[in-house]
Amino acid sequence: MSLQRKDKPSFNNRALNMRQITPYLFITPAIIALAALVVYPLLYGMYISLFETNLANKWNFVGVKNYLSIFSDSDFFNRIWITLKFTFLVILIHFLLGILLGIALNRKGKTITFFRVILILPWLMPDVVVALIFKWLLNPLYGLINNALLDWGAIESNISWLSDEFWAFFCIVAVAVWKGYPLVMVNVLAALQSVSSDIYEAAKVDGASGLQTLLRVILPSIKPVLTTTLILDTVWWFKHYTIIQLLTKGGPGNDTSIISIEIYKQAFEYFKYGKAAAISVVVFLICLLITKLYRRFLESED
Amino acid sequence: MKTRSLKKKKILSGIGTYTVLIVMAVIVLIPILWMVSTSVKLESETITIPPQWIPDHPTLESYKRLWSEYPFAVYFKNSIIISLGAVILSVGFSCLAGYGVTRFRFRGKQSFLTFLLVTQMFPSIMMLIPYYKVLSTYQLKDTYLGMILVYISFTIPFCSWMMVGFFKTIPLELDEAAIIDGCSRWRAFRQIVLPMTLPGISSSAIYAFITAWNEYMFAQILINNPELKTVPLGIAELNGFYKILWNDMMAASVIASLPLIILFVFLQKYFISGLTAGAVKQ
Repeated sequence: MSLQRKDKPSFNNRALNMRQITPYLFITPAIIALAALVVYPLLYGMYISLFETNLANKWNFVGVKNYLSIFSDSDFFNRIWITLKFTFLVILIHFLLGILLGIALNRKGKTITFFRVILILPWLMPDVVVALIFKWLLNPLYGLINNALLDWGAIESNISWLSDEFWAFFCIVAVAVWKGYPLVMVNVLAALQSVSSDIYEAAKVDGASGLQTLLRVILPSIKPVLTTTLILDTVWWFKHYTIIQLLTKGGPGNDTSIISIEIYKQAFEYFKYGKAAAISVVVFLICLLITKLYRRFLESED
Repeated sequence: MKTRSLKKKKILSGIGTYTVLIVMAVIVLIPILWMVSTSVKLESETITIPPQWIPDHPTLESYKRLWSEYPFAVYFKNSIIISLGAVILSVGFSCLAGYGVTRFRFRGKQSFLTFLLVTQMFPSIMMLIPYYKVLSTYQLKDTYLGMILVYISFTIPFCSWMMVGFFKTIPLELDEAAIIDGCSRWRAFRQIVLPMTLPGISSSAIYAFITAWNEYMFAQILINNPELKTVPLGIAELNGFYKILWNDMMAASVIASLPLIILFVFLQKYFISGLTAGAVKQ
């Protein structure tokens, strides 16, 4: 066997070539798919952002004009601010809940399996369904939430949650939290299961308190998974569209107008494809920046 | 003394754990049960004050209407074709990639792995406008193939990444032995190694299926033909009617969620282990 593994000069040419080509044969389909379906559209999007275009017969090259018009627009910064606020709150609560529940679920037993299945349900449900269930729950007149709160005397009159300037934002955050925390939970759980439980026991025997064990032992042991999850979760929610579009369409006013709603509007309501593409590129750069910052921050901590 | 206080601590932490789990389970279940409850109500019963959890006249009328009055049978067919297409292609491609990456040394391997991760960081909305244009250029707008291609662009990176984790856990000696026994590379892959990664294949398949089945934004832009609309589009459409029939909409929501929940309950063991394998890789 060791003979075969070393590329001896006596190895005949055909076999040698095969050896070099075979690995590429296996990964070629994935590479072609990603080049055609990810890299190409991405570059094409950047190309479109330099034009004033209807995507059909009108292609006026305008250089960076689209970008200039974005950055001279205070609405744009306002929307980015809303998006950042939204993403920050959603991710923060996802992680608090996800870590807490992931640790709670990291034991054995039939009841735990039951809870695992229940607690992962929101992640399985389509965004559209989640949005509409909550739209129904939050219905000002017939919604369960208003009626329950009235019953308990917590509020005195019906609240139109989704068209209220103050509440609308918190409602979309709450729905995004409900929908998204299972991802963090499952990743934490999976990571914990791949770490030997001995180190937790050792920490306990040494007399570490629960919080100490959590901060000094548990979290560091799953930090790589947490970092990746943090990056993915941030990018996913930063550009989220469906739930907000169906719940508030960015309203009332522009209070929940996060950036993907704006991109959608620019492209498919005002037909400014070039500008929308330019905003997409900016969003991409922001996501990249956030990723870089996380990496630097979390990796230099060691 | 010490063991006693430890035991006490353990019981307390157990109580704490279960309190947290129960509270969260209630928060998760209320909206879901409310969906189910609304779906078996008559229209008049959906708007009673106070709302009733259990209707006086439970009925499956809304479910029947989905098939008779609304074209949900068509939507379902479309969703199934598109999702299965996406599953087959992404699982196929990612199994090959997983095998290739773990079985061979070759130039560009590390860049390939990095690339898989990096693609996850592109916000998908950035692809929306290019796809809108590219699909019409190649006459793939309003086709199953077009939608499948869009969805595998989301799923292949993550599935490949999971599969790499899985193939890594299978010892190289296995294929080497098979090849010495005269198996071809391809047969070693297909008949010896691949069957052992079944848990990985299941988790990739679930992931791809969920992603394709639930997707709304791209479908909304790229599908205009009513004959090709998917279930999420159909449900969102009910929301756009002048008068929203909550019972019908919730029945459609139940039907849209059910396949995923059933799939997951059966395959959940595989799924968690799938993520674990990915985690080990990191």
